Amino acid sequence: MKLFHRVILTLSLGLLPVMALWAALFYFAMVNEINDETDDVLGDYAELVMRRALAGKPLPAPNNGSNNSYSVTPVDEKYLAENPAITFYDETVYIPEKEETEPARVLKTVFCDAEGQYYEIKVATPTFERTDLLETIAYYIIGLYIVLMLTIFAVVSLVYYYNMRPLYRLLEWFDKYRPGANSEPVPDSSSVVEFRKLNMAAQQAVERAEYYFEQQKQFIGNASHELQTPLAIIGTRIEWLVNNTPLDEQQLEELLKIQRSLSRLVRLNRTLLLLSKIENGQFPEASETDLAAIIRENAETYGDIYEERNILCDTQLPESFTVHMNESLATTLTNNLLKNSFLHNIQDGKVRVTADGRELTIANSGERALDASQIFERFYHEGNPESTGLGLALVSSICRYYNIEVGYSFEEGMHRFTLKFPEEIKR
Amino acid sequence: MKILIIEDDSSLREIISRGLHSEGYVVESASNYSEADEKIAGYSYDCILLDIMLPDGNGLRLLEHIKSLKKSDHVIIISARDSLDDKVTGLDLGADDYLAKPFYMAELSARIKSVLRRSANSNGNKLTAGNITLDLHSRRVEVDGKELTLLKKEFDILLYFMQRPNHIVDKAMLAEAVWGDHIDAADNFDFVYAQVKNLRKRLDASGASLTIKAVYGFGYKLTEAAQ
Repeated sequence: MKLFHRVILTLSLGLLPVMALWAALFYFAMVNEINDETDDVLGDYAELVMRRALAGKPLPAPNNGSNNSYSVTPVDEKYLAENPAITFYDETVYIPEKEETEPARVLKTVFCDAEGQYYEIKVATPTFERTDLLETIAYYIIGLYIVLMLTIFAVVSLVYYYNMRPLYRLLEWFDKYRPGANSEPVPDSSSVVEFRKLNMAAQQAVERAEYYFEQQKQFIGNASHELQTPLAIIGTRIEWLVNNTPLDEQQLEELLKIQRSLSRLVRLNRTLLLLSKIENGQFPEASETDLAAIIRENAETYGDIYEERNILCDTQLPESFTVHMNESLATTLTNNLLKNSFLHNIQDGKVRVTADGRELTIANSGERALDASQIFERFYHEGNPESTGLGLALVSSICRYYNIEVGYSFEEGMHRFTLKFPEEIKR
Repeated sequence: MKILIIEDDSSLREIISRGLHSEGYVVESASNYSEADEKIAGYSYDCILLDIMLPDGNGLRLLEHIKSLKKSDHVIIISARDSLDDKVTGLDLGADDYLAKPFYMAELSARIKSVLRRSANSNGNKLTAGNITLDLHSRRVEVDGKELTLLKKEFDILLYFMQRPNHIVDKAMLAEAVWGDHIDAADNFDFVYAQVKNLRKRLDASGASLTIKAVYGFGYKLTEAAQ
């Protein structure tokens, strides 16, 4: 949920009870006011009738077109004592002209004529229907609520987006941020204290991350470089022994085993160096490289190397598949995938290389799916101790460098590695 | 032939020196910038092996210095940094070759020979060992004056051995040199074995005085054929 939506939602929910309470208050105030006014009118009317009755003038006709009605009934003193002198109340009365009952406001009081006879006078006037009033008020309140919300929505969005600009600039910056990619500095143009603090915290966090990232890269690079000389010494010394000293078969075998382990170490170190170089962006020169040609040439070589496996290699590639990247990295990228497709194949298996638009797929027969979440990790090797476990890490590193999407899937008994090249490789 | 090794690691310096000495070179060595500078100023060398990472100065600066002296010394850079930048800079500054650590003695020896052969410029295109002559340009091989026809890969393998006579050539190294760097993790080298076997048969049949001998597990060696 976006912050803005959250703000709007809380505002709407918060306003709902307030509006309801306000509607209730409004209703009661309204009813009170109307009753008050009606009571005044009733009082006047009752007075008029009383005066006329006391003065002996003819009383108003019951049917005088005003819908007001009245009745005068003689009462005794006992009744007088039991009832209050004046009461106002609501009642439904029958209006003969309309031939229907209507809600009415009633005034009941008593008066005494010259003979000391008490009369109760009851005047009524039709008044509003409470349910109608409630309904109307409800409609208006809902309407008001909607209009108010729309207004609030408009004002809040203006105010919100205006004031939150620094936050969105920071978020946009975070989206673009790639560790070690020499990003622009954290935007810092706000005069608001909180945002300045946030930007500063982001800047510091990023600097720290960059620092450790750089340290780690340098460490791997330096360690690999420092290893080269001792590796060279061991290699040349073994070579010296084998070339220049009389050795029996057992000694030779021991040396051979050392030599084999050393070769692995050398390979491993070389790959680590390559990885560290890619991550340090030390492959700046790029040219139009034809992957189709590289693949065709090397597919043949691997076919020779794994001849005894009788692998059928089917390359369905266009005449050329050019990408703008460093040629040596392009070769490393495709060769690693191609080599894997032969190496991790089965007897009489298949290798299929296909291209579709800017997408290149290298597929090979296999027995079961690999763990897609792990295969691109460094030093992940399934069951093959001879492998450096860096081949696919290298592939993924090169792809990251050039923004190539690399994917793995296992379909119909084939491992499929797909490279999706961007329209324009920018680097 | 006089060679100067400039390398700060004493163990590596010693073993290279010993290896080259056994091949008949006169070998001098220097362990740092100032020592190297002194030797270069005072003497002439046919080939200088230069480690570009020295404790008291950048080897590339030393290379510039050597070139500024306008001496004819050839320089092969040996570096722990297999970086293209260094390589390009080094070669631009006038180095004759660039060899990344770790390397095999056989490789170093072949590079030195190649540099010296280029400079001698006599028969620079031809390699001779025993009664085998190999022409690099026309890619023809003659045994005892008679032409021997080889397939492309067989020629490449023979060339590799001819550049490293009497050195044990590691199978993996041979595979990389002939088939390309990316072969490195191939889990078997049977394909190398098959090619070398064919080449050996052809050499033996043509009456060559040299043959390719398998060295227990390690690889092969171009050596005198047993009569």
